[in-house]
Amino acid sequence: MTLLSVEDLSVLIRRPGHEVAALSGVHLHVEAGEVVGLVGESGGGKSMVARSVVGLLPAGARATGRVLFDGADVLTMDPAALQAHRGRGAALCFQNPRGALSPTRTVGAQLTDRLRTHRGMDRDRAREVAAELFESVGIRSPRRRLDAYPHELSGGMAQRVMISLATGCAPGLLIADEPTTGLDVTLTGEILNRFRAAANTEGRGVLLISHDLASIAQVCDRVVVLYAGTVVESGPAAQVLGEPAHPYTRALLRSVPDLGGRPVTATPGAMPLLREPPAACPFAPRCAHATGECAAGRPEPAALAADWTAACFHPQTAPLAGTGTRIAERRERASGGGAEPQVVARVRDAHVVYRGRFGGAGHHALRGVSLSVAAGEAVGVVGESGCGKSTLARLMLGLVAPASGGVELAGRPLAEVRGRELRRLRTRAQLVFQDPIGSLSPRRTVADAIAEPLRAAGVGPAERAERVAKALDRMELDRSMLTRRPHELSGGQAQRVGIARALVGEPDLIVFDEPTSALDVTVQAQILEVIAGVARDSARGSVFISHDLATVRGFCDRVVVLYLGRIVEEGPVEQVFGDPRHPYTRALLSGAPSLGDGFAGPRVELTRDLEEAEAGGGCPLAPRCPFATPECREGEPELLAYGGMPGRVACRRVDEIPALLERL
Amino acid sequence: MTKDLRFASSLIVTGSVILAVVVLAALLAPLLTGWGPEEIDPAAPLAAPGGAHLLGTDLNGMDVWSRVLYAARLDLGVAVVAVALAVVAGSLLGLVAGYWGGWADDVLMRVVDVFQAFPTFILALAVAALFGGGTLNLVAVIALVNAPAYARLVRAEVRSIRELPYIEAARTSGAPPWGILWRHVLPNSLTPVRVIAPLNCGWAMLTLAGLSFLGLGVPVPGAEWGAMISLGTADVVAGRWWTSVPPGLFLLVCVLGFSLLGEGLQERADAVRR
Repeated sequence: MTLLSVEDLSVLIRRPGHEVAALSGVHLHVEAGEVVGLVGESGGGKSMVARSVVGLLPAGARATGRVLFDGADVLTMDPAALQAHRGRGAALCFQNPRGALSPTRTVGAQLTDRLRTHRGMDRDRAREVAAELFESVGIRSPRRRLDAYPHELSGGMAQRVMISLATGCAPGLLIADEPTTGLDVTLTGEILNRFRAAANTEGRGVLLISHDLASIAQVCDRVVVLYAGTVVESGPAAQVLGEPAHPYTRALLRSVPDLGGRPVTATPGAMPLLREPPAACPFAPRCAHATGECAAGRPEPAALAADWTAACFHPQTAPLAGTGTRIAERRERASGGGAEPQVVARVRDAHVVYRGRFGGAGHHALRGVSLSVAAGEAVGVVGESGCGKSTLARLMLGLVAPASGGVELAGRPLAEVRGRELRRLRTRAQLVFQDPIGSLSPRRTVADAIAEPLRAAGVGPAERAERVAKALDRMELDRSMLTRRPHELSGGQAQRVGIARALVGEPDLIVFDEPTSALDVTVQAQILEVIAGVARDSARGSVFISHDLATVRGFCDRVVVLYLGRIVEEGPVEQVFGDPRHPYTRALLSGAPSLGDGFAGPRVELTRDLEEAEAGGGCPLAPRCPFATPECREGEPELLAYGGMPGRVACRRVDEIPALLERL
Repeated sequence: MTKDLRFASSLIVTGSVILAVVVLAALLAPLLTGWGPEEIDPAAPLAAPGGAHLLGTDLNGMDVWSRVLYAARLDLGVAVVAVALAVVAGSLLGLVAGYWGGWADDVLMRVVDVFQAFPTFILALAVAALFGGGTLNLVAVIALVNAPAYARLVRAEVRSIRELPYIEAARTSGAPPWGILWRHVLPNSLTPVRVIAPLNCGWAMLTLAGLSFLGLGVPVPGAEWGAMISLGTADVVAGRWWTSVPPGLFLLVCVLGFSLLGEGLQERADAVRR
């Protein structure tokens, strides 16, 4: 039975001075027991579809068409009907669970409120059901958690609460707007499986909105791709994600790095912000297959197979581009050099402790990390949030001081120099930030921002201008950018400016701290291309920090895996990704979403330990590790080479791992 | 341009025009009147408006129109210069306290606390009584009572800006601390100051007029609106409105001008943020 049927939905939003065509003639449907993925980049209209379904359009929006839910049109419902529809008919899980939960009330109170309004339960019964709901979404000690305030919960926990809120009133349709953004890979998989379970066991329809194709690929039955407010392709997940027909879908998929090492292909340009429903194909200006026809008229969705449509005059059938080119290229470079390359940065047994507030115990962010980066080398640092990745970046740049251990840049220990000399030395390492716009001073122009390192180094204005222009050219930015200010830039442009700023002083080391995680998928691919180019410079070392293993695989020579402030495994990319020896690395890879083949080989699942309890002296992973022995809980394992391989692993049972895996 | 921005601009333009007219009148005073501000017409004390004296004369036989115009120079000048001083001194203190923190911050903020514990006008009254009137003293007094607010405002801004990524970016670029302070922290921390300062000029004029009204401001026979109003209060009862109403009106118009300008800037900042 069709649960939700969106027919020819168009939404125009009145903005001061102009209108925005948020949606133009969108058709889609969701059946009971089905998970439908709604994908596309920001500005494509995904959230607007979600809002239309629950009747929560922003002020100034005009919707035409029909949104039929169980046969009733949501767009024409009166307030009372809408109220009933929202809780029981369709429920929305918001993108930012912490922001969507009221900060001054306990999460239990917020959940029981809903149960009491929509399901007419009394207080005690509601509390009981709430505890059951918490348990069913995997919250430990649910009764205690009911009395927690949102700020006391971690991101993953808050998302679970959000899901329990949405599922609590047994809605027919569950809409999740980017439910896993900002969550770690291990959590992402788990949360998505909750939605799959809601469809399978409870027979709900689920509309899963995401910009991240890889993560939702496994759980969706069908996928709908939005571009500039129009549906460009829709069909079974296997077809749309496996052999996409619409050039935009193909561009999206090609933009996503894959664990298997498939290279990223960037598509130039950015999504337009339409002021009126498009008269032509909105993707035509960026499309390699576009002809005059595409600019003259808008293609109607045409059926390619049963339940599979693409709105394109030239649907593509060729398989997506081949694999492996970039990795081969890198291998040549790695084996090409004769002499041992110079080490540009070295971290020696560094501990970093953040001082606790009000005399409380500090946070031990890094615990004895050693790392060296050679010229011409790209080192990837991966791990879940809170593992110390960013602290390591800040440490290498001299932005935080180690409690013990040391950092050397260009062969000189940072601790030995002071004042101007320290500043000079520090400029030998540059950082590219996660937040591209926030890392640019709002009142300074692009020219000013890029010139900053040169000014600090005492370079004269004429040479400054010349080198800034050169850096801008390398980032393929127009010279007219120079006089712009950060708020006039798109995320991709701002990140190019950030990279130009890092490059302009010709540093020995560039640290990229999650440089693409704030960007849209196709823009991510563009920036990754730029970064890959920069990382190929032979005079410079680069460190690429990411929670996303696939992006690291694309162009790093060596990978370092961090867990709770310690390096648990390090080694060449092929080694670590191909045959990870540490159970944690293997679990990360097993859990990482992938559109391609993903991680081959035996998978490891860690037992859930949401409290992230500190291991009492033993191996930090021991409480979660399926292979842990009593011995593991006693002493911390050292990072050691194993079996003549080029990598190092901090695991007591490293030699037994292959045998243990076979027994799994 | 959006509706909010248009509204903001209309406020800014109206406020600016009002102030420009007053400033022009003050500058062109010698052309607009034949009388000097302190020139006495012994033949006509308390003359009604019209004739030789456009707005009549006061108790001492001085021309009210002339005095009102010349007083604009003093009132506007004192207010603007005092607020400018307060902005500069307060912002610098706030900048230092906010960026470096530590004991400097503690000391400065406790001093600010002491200042802000008193109502501004009472504090101005006390300080003016202590140091005496006179133009320069008044500038100093008004700057002194207003500076703590700027110090606090800028300090709060600096505290949050200090933690933003672009400051870290500047540090990794090797910029020296004073360079970061001057080029990145200061320009970004002054946003609220730009809005508050014009409003503050209006309040400063009221403070000045209030002090003079109470006899702690500009000494007789200096032309100042508050002093003029004070001198004319007895006349109002006797039906001689012209000695105190014109300076009152000028004061009102100026404060209104500053308020509109400040409101407009506030609206524009809000509109841009949205």
